[in-house]
Amino acid sequence: MNMEKVFPVFAAAFAVIYILAVQYNWALLTYHPKIGEWGWLAEPAKNGPPMYWYGWLVTSTFGATAVSLLSWPLVRRWSAQLWIGWMVPLVVIFIFVYLFRGFFVR
Amino acid sequence: MATFLVILHGLLAVVLLGGITHQALSVAWPSRNKSGIFRSFRAVSGSVYTNANIALFLATVTLGSIIYPAYRVSVRTYLENARLNSAVGSFELKEQFITIGLGMLPLYWLLWRRPPEAAGAKSARIAVTLMLAFIVWYGFLVGHVLNNIRGLFGL
Repeated sequence: MNMEKVFPVFAAAFAVIYILAVQYNWALLTYHPKIGEWGWLAEPAKNGPPMYWYGWLVTSTFGATAVSLLSWPLVRRWSAQLWIGWMVPLVVIFIFVYLFRGFFVR
Repeated sequence: MATFLVILHGLLAVVLLGGITHQALSVAWPSRNKSGIFRSFRAVSGSVYTNANIALFLATVTLGSIIYPAYRVSVRTYLENARLNSAVGSFELKEQFITIGLGMLPLYWLLWRRPPEAAGAKSARIAVTLMLAFIVWYGFLVGHVLNNIRGLFGL
């Protein structure tokens, strides 16, 4: 497997899956910090606020790894597209700023 | 224990800040002339920082993820009750930016591993390094301000 072809796909897929995970709460794990308890998938609050960030991270890591592996038969025929490895995350960063604008303009 | 970890988290972030800033300036605004402190700062060999920056990024994020529950339960609740929405939002953005940076680390490592040959490799190296530098600077400043928010804003 050629890393120059796979790593840009991983970076782009990671960013896209991560923003989808945040937006639609695709957390594979939930942590309840007040009671120190872990749960599978996105669980509602039990006692105190639940934390989904760990779950989003796991979702994105697994998802991006899967996308990188599945896309290999396709990208192996192309020249390395390094630009998608930074352009897509850059766009995702701007989308996050847009999505979270409510914190700053209220 | 949490205080110790916050201080350690901050110290690691300071070292990372130095390493990534050196590297970012050396690749985006290189200098061959070492006369003067600013030119010397930009004239370093950027590639020597790569592995250290990756290790520091991972260590800083790991420590951050350990102390994150304390923030979520105590600090964020305080900020929300005080209606400091900008502070809460700044941290939310920090969390997302840092995670995007994590996903870019394999590509960052690859781009600095050998001289860029593929088309677009040089611009990709500059872009990825500058983005990581921005993420680290943003994360550091937000973390620093939030850690001291009561003193800084007289709350």
